[in-house]
Amino acid sequence: MSSSASFRHSIRRGLSALFAASIPLYTGGWIGGHQSTFDAKGPVAASQLDLFYVTLWVTGIIFVLVAAVLAYATLKFKARNEADEHAEPPPQGHGNPLVELGLIGASVVALVFIAVPTLEAIWYTYDVPDDRRDQTYEVTAVGYQWWFKFEYPNEQIDGAGPLVTANELVIPAGRPVRVNLRTIDVIHSFWVPKLAGKVDMIPNRGNHLWLQADEPGYFWGQCAEFCGQSHAVMRFRVIALNEADFAAWTANQKKDARAVETTASADAAPRAQFAGFRVNEAGWSPEFDANPLDNWVQKQFPEKSENPALIAEGRRLFVEKACAGCHNIRGHEGVGITGPDLTHMGSRTTIAAGLLENTTRNLYRWISEPHHVKPGNKMWVGGYTDRETGNRILELTSEDVSALVAYLESLK
Amino acid sequence: MDALVKSNFIGKEEHAGVEKRSWLFTRPTAKTGIVSWLTTVDHKRVGLLYGISSLFFFLVGGFEAILIRLQLAVPNNTLLTAQQYNEMFTMHGTTMIFLAVMPLSAAFFNYIMPLQIGARDVAFPRLNGFAFWVFLVGAIILNVGWFVKSGAPDVGWFGYAPLTSTAYSSQFAGDMSTDLWVMGLQVLGVSSIIGSLNFIVTIINLRAPGMTMMRLPVFTWMTLFTAFLIILSFPAITIALVELMMDRSFGTSFFEVSGGGLPILWQHLFWVFGHPEVYILILPAMGIISEILPTFSRKPLFGYPIVVFSGAAIGFLGFGVWSHHMFTTGMGTVATAAFAVATMAIAVPTGVKIFNWIGTLWGGHLMMRTPMMFALGFVWLFMFGGFSGIMHSAAPADAQQQDSYFVVAHFHYVLIGGSIFALLAGIHYWFPLIFGRTVSEFWGKLSFWVIFVGFNVTFFPMHFLGLNGMPRRTFTYDGNMGWNNANMWATVGALILAVGICIYFAVMVYTYFKGQKSSRDPWDGRTLEWSIPNPPPEYNFAVTPTVHARDAFWYEKNNKEEIAREKAAKAKIDEAHGGVHMPSQSWFPIITASGILIGGLFFTNHIMLGAIAGGVVVFFGAWMWALEGPGGYHVHPNESDDDSSQGHGPKH
Repeated sequence: MSSSASFRHSIRRGLSALFAASIPLYTGGWIGGHQSTFDAKGPVAASQLDLFYVTLWVTGIIFVLVAAVLAYATLKFKARNEADEHAEPPPQGHGNPLVELGLIGASVVALVFIAVPTLEAIWYTYDVPDDRRDQTYEVTAVGYQWWFKFEYPNEQIDGAGPLVTANELVIPAGRPVRVNLRTIDVIHSFWVPKLAGKVDMIPNRGNHLWLQADEPGYFWGQCAEFCGQSHAVMRFRVIALNEADFAAWTANQKKDARAVETTASADAAPRAQFAGFRVNEAGWSPEFDANPLDNWVQKQFPEKSENPALIAEGRRLFVEKACAGCHNIRGHEGVGITGPDLTHMGSRTTIAAGLLENTTRNLYRWISEPHHVKPGNKMWVGGYTDRETGNRILELTSEDVSALVAYLESLK
Repeated sequence: MDALVKSNFIGKEEHAGVEKRSWLFTRPTAKTGIVSWLTTVDHKRVGLLYGISSLFFFLVGGFEAILIRLQLAVPNNTLLTAQQYNEMFTMHGTTMIFLAVMPLSAAFFNYIMPLQIGARDVAFPRLNGFAFWVFLVGAIILNVGWFVKSGAPDVGWFGYAPLTSTAYSSQFAGDMSTDLWVMGLQVLGVSSIIGSLNFIVTIINLRAPGMTMMRLPVFTWMTLFTAFLIILSFPAITIALVELMMDRSFGTSFFEVSGGGLPILWQHLFWVFGHPEVYILILPAMGIISEILPTFSRKPLFGYPIVVFSGAAIGFLGFGVWSHHMFTTGMGTVATAAFAVATMAIAVPTGVKIFNWIGTLWGGHLMMRTPMMFALGFVWLFMFGGFSGIMHSAAPADAQQQDSYFVVAHFHYVLIGGSIFALLAGIHYWFPLIFGRTVSEFWGKLSFWVIFVGFNVTFFPMHFLGLNGMPRRTFTYDGNMGWNNANMWATVGALILAVGICIYFAVMVYTYFKGQKSSRDPWDGRTLEWSIPNPPPEYNFAVTPTVHARDAFWYEKNNKEEIAREKAAKAKIDEAHGGVHMPSQSWFPIITASGILIGGLFFTNHIMLGAIAGGVVVFFGAWMWALEGPGGYHVHPNESDDDSSQGHGPKH
């Protein structure tokens, strides 16, 4: 008795859980995410969304008509009883050419309703419209396994070429932005759903797309072409700023990496220590998501509780542990170009290609066990371990990691 | 499997071959046991071999799908590693397309098509056996990666260059999994082309008297179109695979970027094959549906010529739309516009088929048997998948949908809702013919409803996932993206779907052993395969039928006297020729295929001496095959006793 009652109880609980889980379907919760294509924030995404609605309406109307006839035919002509089943076969008609031709004609007309706006949108979304070309801001995005490099050809730095950042593309709002798409290894695809549909980055081929954020905002993007082991965690952000903020940002980015004055020995410095990371642990927080743009602004300023001694130790370790061989820190010792440019890394809201929020704990985790965050990444394969044998070739103590974290966080 | 053997109508050779031959060329004659299957040239047995192996791989691919769905059930899951997940979706796609749906269609082509046109066998029986063994070799090569250190292929079923080059696919470990994929697909292509040529020659040449092209059953028409699509499209992927093999093994630079290769070339070659491939998967399904709906509506197919020609139009246009898989590669405005409009155009012949199926139902007496349920389920789901296909043809909208879960939803609606539903319908429909037993209606319909519900719960939410920005081929996602809910639903649905598939196959296995014996022609069929006893005799037709109308068997049932007179006259003529001529069994198809297995495996391990040895076996097998000659013997069917016990017409 009691077991069947508890069975019924659990069935009921399961059903109500399923009902609760389906609520977002009716309330629009399934189309309201950070990468929702329904929430267009610029003209390119809006044009694509409008076209989607055209296709939805046309096919929706056809669906209602055809489905109604199909359902009616099924219900009306279905055999209901023994007598029906053994009735004489119905008239053996072979079809009706007029009906056929009429339906073919109607289908063609319906498709014209889709084709015309499709053609319009193909030309509109392909490149910046002529009358807005002079306002266009140009950037270059380069895909790597598994991160994005962004170059600003308009922002030249004396003796260092164009401004280079990684994984967070900062653009001026209200202006068309033309993104040149390049890759140095395999095919990637640049997709910021709220701003524009994707265009692939293909080796030996110059591609581009254009997008515009109408208002300042913080947008989620992701690689959309399978590019190897860690494709799923190759993400990025686009931050749109008003003209003044954007100018301030570029001015700061063009500066060399920030140097912190050393005042004391690092021996007694308080160090961040973390442990117990799970493989593939989530790296986001609801607090950040609640107000991402403000949080991005906060990131532009140095932390109040900096420890100069620890930062100095981190800076030394950055060279000693060969980090500098792959990462560039302009004005400091780094020279490498294999990995992301870290000159102003502390001012970014994310690390590991948009995967983890840029917090002390996440940075500690990323440096101490990169292979658990992003399997197959080059920092681990070839950096921490030997590429051929897989043997560990670089050891970092928890003290080393905490110093490196402090250093990187100081790079505003 | 031995249902055939239980048939009373296995032909026995009257007397041993007149000619004395060396042991090497002695033809195997076993009609039962393992040797009979290894050396078979009977199109029905080859069809069963295709059917059983494709259903096995269907379950393997389904298991991979369940692991994929379990991994994605919750955000940041760790059931599978990134590597395992990539292997899983690569092999799920490759398995379902090349090892499940295509060979299951081939099973029906083999078994049903010759019966529908009144033929004794396919045109080249030994080649038919060879096509199956080569298929099995390809399947083994593709899957052997699971059991070796380098793992299964993990570059996606589409294998986009340059991820497949040695620089990236073998980046972090000595890796032959991509070589296995390249070799396996080439071998499968050989099998498909051989089988298709055989079907084309059979349909063109071996039709019974009076079976004009415009009287062909629609399933046979679709077999013909599919076969043409295969022989025209597979060379494209074969070229691409050979070039890739050269890049990987011998240092050429077709796709190798550092050598000036063009990765985009791979995409064009792949999709010139890949889009016709979509129709290779769906046209047989449309053929099956075009058989089932008329039978269970008890009236002819509405607009037969238009259904046939729209099939041809789909096949033809199918070669002109491949770049809609590449709308995001930056093709430029004109090319994008051309392919967008061509893709919309293909919706017309596809829509026409839907209209004609509804027209077939209209005014009929619909008998709601399980095959009919699956067929109606097909029409609903395929229509749905068709509509999301039209959405993709609007290229700028597709820029948001491409490589997102919206695409995953779309093509599962056309490939499961379309192909698989039709194939499951076909299994139910022809089961009584093939095995002589009828599947329980209750269990059949139960499996239908569970599969139907499970399928929609799995794939309908994926439309939302895609439009909400979730990319495909991702082993993990974060919990803040708004994807948790729909992913959980999809996983629950996948489990329901799995339960439905289990019910379906459990019922089939039960029915095979314990099912109710089926009467002859249980559905009141309209085409010739229903005119013979079940399970069918080895020689198919005791007397070659003469065809007078489009639904040939329906005509026979309505003109019994005329047909009886004709048959008596025909029987005398046949007897004067010495009886029914049957093809001899042979060892050489399987021996030749085994050479491909040996060579293929050695080649992927870069042991060229072994690869050459495999080539020698292939050469030896083919040479001996040629020398042993076609063979053949005569049987003298006598069906009169059995015939009287089985009446015609529906019995339920």
